[in-house]
Amino acid sequence: MKLTLRIWVLIIFLLLSTIVIINFQALLQKGVEIKDIEQNSSAFTSGLKIGDIITSVNNMPVENIMDYSKAISSLFKDKNESVKVVINTKDEQFVFYSDTIPPIKISELRKTNIRAGLDLQGGARALVKPEEQLTKEQMQDLISISNQRLNVYGISDVSIRQANDLSGNNYMLVEIAGATPKDLENLIARQGKFEAKIGNETVFIGGNNDITYVCRNDANCARVDRCQQVQSGYFCNYHFVIHLSEEAAKRHAKITGKLGKNVSNPGYLDKQIDFYVDDELATSLFISENLKGQETTQIQIQGSGSGVDQKSAISDAENSMKQMQTILITGSLPYKLEIVKLDTISPVLGKRFTYLILLTGLIALIAVSVIVFIRYRNIKASIAILFTSFSEVVILLGIAAFIKWNLDLPSIVGILVMIGTGVDQQIVILDESRSSRTTSMKEKLKGALFIVIAAFITVVASLLPLFWAGAGLLKGFAVTTLIGLTVGVLITRPAFADIIKLIDKSQ
Amino acid sequence: MEEENKQETIKEKAKTNYKEKFENIYNKNYKILIYIPVILLILTLGYLFYFSSINGDIIKKDITLTGGTSIQVFAKTDINQLKAKLNKNEGQFSIREISDITTGEQVAFIVETAMSPEKIKPILEEYLGYELNNENSSIEFTGASLSGSFYNQLRFAVVLSFILMAISVFIIFRNFAPSVAVVFAAFSDIVMTLAVVNLLGMSMSTAGIVAILMLIGYSVDTDILLTTRVIKRKEGSINNRLYSAFKTGITMTLTSLAVVLVGFIFTSSFSEIFNQIFTILTIGLIFDIINTWTFNASFIKWYVERKEK
Repeated sequence: MKLTLRIWVLIIFLLLSTIVIINFQALLQKGVEIKDIEQNSSAFTSGLKIGDIITSVNNMPVENIMDYSKAISSLFKDKNESVKVVINTKDEQFVFYSDTIPPIKISELRKTNIRAGLDLQGGARALVKPEEQLTKEQMQDLISISNQRLNVYGISDVSIRQANDLSGNNYMLVEIAGATPKDLENLIARQGKFEAKIGNETVFIGGNNDITYVCRNDANCARVDRCQQVQSGYFCNYHFVIHLSEEAAKRHAKITGKLGKNVSNPGYLDKQIDFYVDDELATSLFISENLKGQETTQIQIQGSGSGVDQKSAISDAENSMKQMQTILITGSLPYKLEIVKLDTISPVLGKRFTYLILLTGLIALIAVSVIVFIRYRNIKASIAILFTSFSEVVILLGIAAFIKWNLDLPSIVGILVMIGTGVDQQIVILDESRSSRTTSMKEKLKGALFIVIAAFITVVASLLPLFWAGAGLLKGFAVTTLIGLTVGVLITRPAFADIIKLIDKSQ
Repeated sequence: MEEENKQETIKEKAKTNYKEKFENIYNKNYKILIYIPVILLILTLGYLFYFSSINGDIIKKDITLTGGTSIQVFAKTDINQLKAKLNKNEGQFSIREISDITTGEQVAFIVETAMSPEKIKPILEEYLGYELNNENSSIEFTGASLSGSFYNQLRFAVVLSFILMAISVFIIFRNFAPSVAVVFAAFSDIVMTLAVVNLLGMSMSTAGIVAILMLIGYSVDTDILLTTRVIKRKEGSINNRLYSAFKTGITMTLTSLAVVLVGFIFTSSFSEIFNQIFTILTIGLIFDIINTWTFNASFIKWYVERKEK
């Protein structure tokens, strides 16, 4: 039996797809992968980065998440001490000191390169609409600032992209694995316009023109303290230091120079410095008398957080502080935004659901093969159909892994449905080849391919609008179906036609 | 192949007899078959008009198309008790439970409402007695302005995709009447499916509309096969060509139906998206069998016979 070129093409694609899908690294390597690492943490500055594979911590071997947690918790038993941490990755060694558990999120090594979307792995997704119509360049600006904001805040496992719809609106689609919706609202939808004013005069604003340094992750100049019990729970203050540029410091000198002494509150000036975020007054502070007319470059920013108990009040204050630091560093977003869709998907049911989807795919294949066998009562032809359908799914997944396509629910529906439609075309080919027409086998198969291609064209035409409708949220379905159909028309069905010829010859 | 045929001659003879009888009946009455889908289409169209005159639209829309919040809580709860509790509050709620097909256990429940997450969350938390967070719940919120534009666009997408499909069909066959029949069958599939969806009281989501789009592709598949086999080929009698097309076409639709049904059984209790798509495809494929093999088949037979005279 001599295999034809088309069958070889199918086999090659099948092999390539398998190579792309399986993460061989994970099979050969033991360890855990860094999913996320907080920037500006000592672990980050030591050189560790997302994607690194940790193999040991302080000479304790790490093969899975359990090992890692055990190793880390044994190092940080005594809380307030600075600990030397030695992390070995696949090819390097990193050493840093830390007095808290390093802000590293880890995961087991992925066994495949197929990317499960948010629907399966959990996370938050926001569709954000600028209040005005933006040009492509403006949108790019917005996306890069938003990216920077999330990075500064400490979220890096994030995907931000532009989405358009049929009416020409543009949106920004933000997907974050493992962020809370509140983070998203505060970091993405908030314009984050920071202004420090004395009376009506602006002293400085957020962003690196006026602010040269923002203290973070350093308890000497940025911390949460002074927690108090109040009626409704607890209340904590935070404060951190920022450095002003020379220009902003001059402005400060000029404005404070004009102020008088505070009569009711001795030691301070008669006007306060007011911090506005998005035109709303956030905090007001008294200005010490001796700062009058001074070119101060160091300013302390204050704020507060609250909660039902002390612990939640502290973490609320910490989050508020982080957000404030973020907008001071990144400055205001150039446009006002509105969150038009906000989803937070819990990772809890994802695993179970993935299992059900795989089960569905398998049972669907079995159901199809039963029907095919009943119809043809021919083992060889039925196996050929099954093999071709199976290869179609494998090649489709291979391409999805290759182009790094996130499989969301619409994409998965597309794949499942393709098991049904792929078989349809094979049935056409098989029936045409077995028809009692007097023409040659070649002619018969040519006829079959006409039907297959005609159906392909109409389905593609009917799917095109989905690329834009619904701000691209349903694009996944169109993408997987189109890849599947194209793989079918170009690779698997021509090969199937040849396989049928071979079976026909051998009988 | 010929040897095989010899062995089966007796069987074949019985088959032919049966086939002849069937053919006679079919040849006499096939035009009547055309009326079945046409009457069905008129009835369902009428129903859709009636439905939209009452409800203001041809479908009932869920919150993905009207705006609102859907909260999925991973806990067991007495749905009726929750309903009673929620109905004391203002606004409309729709509550559904989610169960795992392999164990039959309730794993979660979904509350859908036009309210914002900030409003519905405290109400649910009060009922449940604990805070809802990322570990025990999923929340999806769609703003009213966005969902409104989603709906308009998806509706437009369906119309556009239908037109693109029709154009491709005309280009492929370059033959007016048969192309019209293909397009007509796809149209009937959609109208009849929508009518049943309404009768079942389903609220359509964005996923549901996508399923309608998929249906366009599915329905054209078998029609193209049928039209090509009967019109473009010349071998054998029309009935033979029809019969062979039927055998192929029905196998195709049955395999598709099998996949869709398996999908429905295993995943629909877990995800609203899967539920809608597979339900609508199941209904649509059943109508496609009816429309293709009563209307299209008869129409094409009539068309070819008239042309051959």
